[in-house]
Amino acid sequence: MGGFNTALFFDMKSNRETINLYSLTFRVPIIFWQLLFFVGPVLFMVAMSFFLVKNYRMTEAFEFINWTKMFSKNYFWDSYWFTLIIAFISTLLTMVIAFPASFTLAFRVSENFRRWAIFLLIIPFFTSYLVRTFSWYVILAEKGVINALLSYINLGPFIMLNTHIGTLVGYMTLTLPLVIILQTVTMANIDKNLIEAAFNLGCKPYLIIQRVIIPLSKTGFIIAAVFCFILSFGDFVAPFYLGGSQEPTLPILILDTTKSGQQWPRAAVVAIVMMVTLFAIAFIGIMTAYSKSFKNDKR
Amino acid sequence: MTYPLVSFKNVTKNFGKMNAVTNLNFEIDKGEFLAIMGPSGCGKTTTLRMLAGLENPSSGEIRFNNRLMNNVKPHERDTPLVWQSLALFPFLNVQENVEFGLKMRGVSSKTRQKKSLEWLEKLEVRELAKRDISTLSGGQKQRVALARSLVMEPEILLLDEPLSALDAHLVIRMQAVLTQLQKELGITFVYVTHSQSEAFAMANRVIIMNVGEISQIGKPKDIYRSPANQFVAEFVGRNNILSGKVYDIKSKIAFIKTNSGNYNFEIIDKNIELGHTLNYIISADLMNFSLVKPKNSNIVNCKLISEEYIGSMVTLFLESVDGTEFKIQMQEREYSKLNIQNGEKYWLSWSKKNVHTLKKD
Repeated sequence: MGGFNTALFFDMKSNRETINLYSLTFRVPIIFWQLLFFVGPVLFMVAMSFFLVKNYRMTEAFEFINWTKMFSKNYFWDSYWFTLIIAFISTLLTMVIAFPASFTLAFRVSENFRRWAIFLLIIPFFTSYLVRTFSWYVILAEKGVINALLSYINLGPFIMLNTHIGTLVGYMTLTLPLVIILQTVTMANIDKNLIEAAFNLGCKPYLIIQRVIIPLSKTGFIIAAVFCFILSFGDFVAPFYLGGSQEPTLPILILDTTKSGQQWPRAAVVAIVMMVTLFAIAFIGIMTAYSKSFKNDKR
Repeated sequence: MTYPLVSFKNVTKNFGKMNAVTNLNFEIDKGEFLAIMGPSGCGKTTTLRMLAGLENPSSGEIRFNNRLMNNVKPHERDTPLVWQSLALFPFLNVQENVEFGLKMRGVSSKTRQKKSLEWLEKLEVRELAKRDISTLSGGQKQRVALARSLVMEPEILLLDEPLSALDAHLVIRMQAVLTQLQKELGITFVYVTHSQSEAFAMANRVIIMNVGEISQIGKPKDIYRSPANQFVAEFVGRNNILSGKVYDIKSKIAFIKTNSGNYNFEIIDKNIELGHTLNYIISADLMNFSLVKPKNSNIVNCKLISEEYIGSMVTLFLESVDGTEFKIQMQEREYSKLNIQNGEKYWLSWSKKNVHTLKKD
């Protein structure tokens, strides 16, 4: 119980109405916001993908030519698969690289230490992603920090800027802190009794991650991976500045399309394809993350 | 030479500066149902966790069949534990949960299936084998947790307040299930609880712990009727505790002067001498209640303060003129006949035979 009795404050007869109005005032702004700044632009973008460009000017129309043109171009599909694969590799790498750190933060340090670590992991987000990306120039360049260090042991120089390595490093600049935070929080919330119960039933320490921790963290891990994928897939900065953009990802393709001949409608086509792809991946991800409850529904 | 199944020798456990248990000395025999009981923070769970290897003693020795176990890791022991939270794996179904331990021991899949179904059958939850843990009721989870531990066919089963989350009527049923199982299997059960009714209903022997030390070890009845000290007397059952000075002894009868009056009791075995100050108890269920002044010698006139119902039993709380608190337990049907009012004065009396003297703490 507890809380206040609404009947004391409102006339019983108008009680229902009053409460509806009360909750509406909280609901309306978010609905309004989403309609204005999300649904609206998306609808406009879909409409725009059917427009035509004549003499560098966009004119309203309803033609499928942008769609057929884009889908028939090899460079579009090359770019699509490349973006999908490199975002996938980035997600896989990030999840694997983050795990030891998250594991340590979740199980091997005090709660206080973990709190500070999470706070420090949030700090990178305070500075511009672009600035953080440019700082990699100093480190990754042919005469940068890494190659300078490697030259002491007669290795290198390795070319890392303008390669896929550069792109992946850039993606991780964006995603790694977030993934570590999500993984840490997931694992820190595991019921420690379950881990002890596994030991108690004879589970060897090296098997505990595979047998207990990962199954228990499934939901959180998939959500972290989905986030990581979405951020990498849609990122423009890393492939452009660190990856060299010879093999353009979809965001770079969008930029190129708008620049060359003001082809905004064709850029809209690419953007819609990206959105549909991300939507599908997020949907599959969330479904798998909560697949257990689906199993229950069938019974 | 035969050894006890488990022996604790001067076992102490510290967490940093905090002292969890101090100098534990006891043995557990094969096939007994031992309850470890005490208020929260008394070290009973730490003791159990040391048996499972989840904590290592800071000093002292724990032996199983005379083998020193101090540094044997939990997964190298055969001491399955039933957790207070049950700790069933939510990502596995019922049967997979039961099979988990066998799988970790490298038992073949065929044997695992056979054994897990066997144990689910024994605990009357076989039809749940393919169900998800989240779809089970509290009582069903309990049985699955028991099956998961018992399928390991251990010599000793550890239970950490496994019934504390259940409804009252289920607790009684599960108590029967546990006692039955323990008798049938002949496995040693070590049962940690803060509930006196659970401990006394099931255990052959009870260890009472207080602030990290053992207060008393004994059969439930002995602990109930002859508590070793004031703590046990207060913790176990409802006892009237009186303290006073012996002013006369005549043919094995001690006469004692307390704040609420002068009483007497039969001296049984203790060396009670003239002039001793001592505490003694009369169990609340051994008190007599009357509306008029009885002719006995051990009587006190008290004002009724409050009453408490536990099922068919009523406990009355009374206060004598000097402020000493008295308790009396009686059947509810007896009580309702008497038409007793709060604030009224009544007489309590007890036999000089029903007195138990306490050792000084």
